[in-house]
Amino acid sequence: MSNPSKRAAIVAAAEADKIGYLETPKTDFMLGIEAISNVCKAAGISPKDIEGIANPGNANAYAEYLGIVPKWVDTTAVGGCSYQIHAAHMLAAINAGMFDIGVIVHGEAGYSRRNYPRGGQPQRGGDPLGPDAQFMTPYGIAGAPSNYSHAMTRHMYQYGNTKEDYAKIAVSTREWATLNPRAIMHSKETHPAGGPISVEDVLNSRIISWPLNLLDVCLVADHGGAVIVASERVAKSFPTPPVWIAGAGEAIGHATMLEMKDFTKTSAAYSGKRAYAMAGMGPEDMEMAMIYDSFTITVAITAEVLGLAKPGEGHTLFDPGKSNPGGSFPINTNGGGLSFNHSGMYGMQLLIESYRQLSGTAEDGVNGLPGKQTNAKSLVVNGTGGSLSATGTLVLTADE
Amino acid sequence: MADYNKPIPVPDPYVNGPYWAGAKEGKFMLPRCTSCNHAHFYPRLLCPICGARTIVWEEASGEGYLHTFAVQHRAFGAWGEETPFVTAYIDLKEGDRVFTVLRGVDPNQPEEIFKKIGALCKVEFEEANDEVSIPYWRLVG
Repeated sequence: MSNPSKRAAIVAAAEADKIGYLETPKTDFMLGIEAISNVCKAAGISPKDIEGIANPGNANAYAEYLGIVPKWVDTTAVGGCSYQIHAAHMLAAINAGMFDIGVIVHGEAGYSRRNYPRGGQPQRGGDPLGPDAQFMTPYGIAGAPSNYSHAMTRHMYQYGNTKEDYAKIAVSTREWATLNPRAIMHSKETHPAGGPISVEDVLNSRIISWPLNLLDVCLVADHGGAVIVASERVAKSFPTPPVWIAGAGEAIGHATMLEMKDFTKTSAAYSGKRAYAMAGMGPEDMEMAMIYDSFTITVAITAEVLGLAKPGEGHTLFDPGKSNPGGSFPINTNGGGLSFNHSGMYGMQLLIESYRQLSGTAEDGVNGLPGKQTNAKSLVVNGTGGSLSATGTLVLTADE
Repeated sequence: MADYNKPIPVPDPYVNGPYWAGAKEGKFMLPRCTSCNHAHFYPRLLCPICGARTIVWEEASGEGYLHTFAVQHRAFGAWGEETPFVTAYIDLKEGDRVFTVLRGVDPNQPEEIFKKIGALCKVEFEEANDEVSIPYWRLVG
């Protein structure tokens, strides 16, 4: 069994024509199609060159719309980390010689669908006899914030942390957003509540689900994105540099939080370990990190289980001079789901920014979109899906 | 009873049947696997600990300990009219865990509830309609 490490690379990344809070509502699918069009342009290929296609649940519709008959499909849909897992699966399939060029596509009208009820895809109905309907919904659970807050309480209890500790995560992430003009919270020009924030601002923001305040919680916006993954054989034939998939891991801890045995750990403990092992690298070799930030608590827990900090000390990575711009270990350089853009499944935004940083295209942008470039040549990127349920971890590296 | 306006689960005639039938009679029922002797929740067709399909139902103590909680300031439907309220996970004495709206606590004093993590809680039942009574847990320790 050959190690698939670096047998495939991300060679281009792009977003939909417009993202954020769209004035003219768009559907999930249209955001995804725009992103495919833009990523093919960036990669200098035609959509007709796509041989493999991955999307959470809807690959058939994308293939049909593009008029292609893919050799390989993946519809893994396990929440926001699906895109990291798609990349892992593409790496394996490419290593097995199944295809050379694939696209991972994301389209999600998280904001538009509120204003355009007939747009996008229908909401999932859910199983009336499943554990959520039987044992959670009767007690007033109201989406992700109302669930994740329980993990934060337990994390605080177990490690003696305070709400101030987690608020630092939102502050550092917002600082990155002020350097990314595409970020919803970039400035007062992009949003009335945009621009830099303080720990006090987080603590004084509206309480949503104690201990989570509004500024501990991600945005819900529109986003489309796509990346091209190519085999080692063809990876250097594109206009932008390859970013190698050195390691990949996936895991599922649970589906409903009723089954989350330890509220202070996610399955990234396993997916991370697998990704590091494949890469032959460890957390000490990482020069930055892109960590799914649905909530501040998600970041603290994930940083710990990925080995970037000791248990309970994930928040210390966000002390000034570490994770923030100019710091020693940049984290969430796009401004995160907290302040850049979160559409519901944020894994694609993570992948795009990971590519931009390691390919050195963050400032010229991969879709004509400026950002802030770091010097990192390696990173760990971790997606989290569901209710802290599933995880996908990638170790990515740039050529020296 | 007639004015119970919160979501009422559809009693599952298959796997979860004894849970809801017990609740209607004021009993907290749990599934236990006779192969590995572990109780579990939520109820399964197969034991999540050992995989065997040897599940029996037994009346449980109805006691557990506060594992973690949150104070909900935003909710939908009828629950939206009751904010803030406290939700919690309870570690059952028999093992495994349930989710509930926690009674006997002040939602405006989360720091006080925080000090009660690990404290004893007991189940009680509220009649929702002719078929369904819903278990709620109360902090007593």
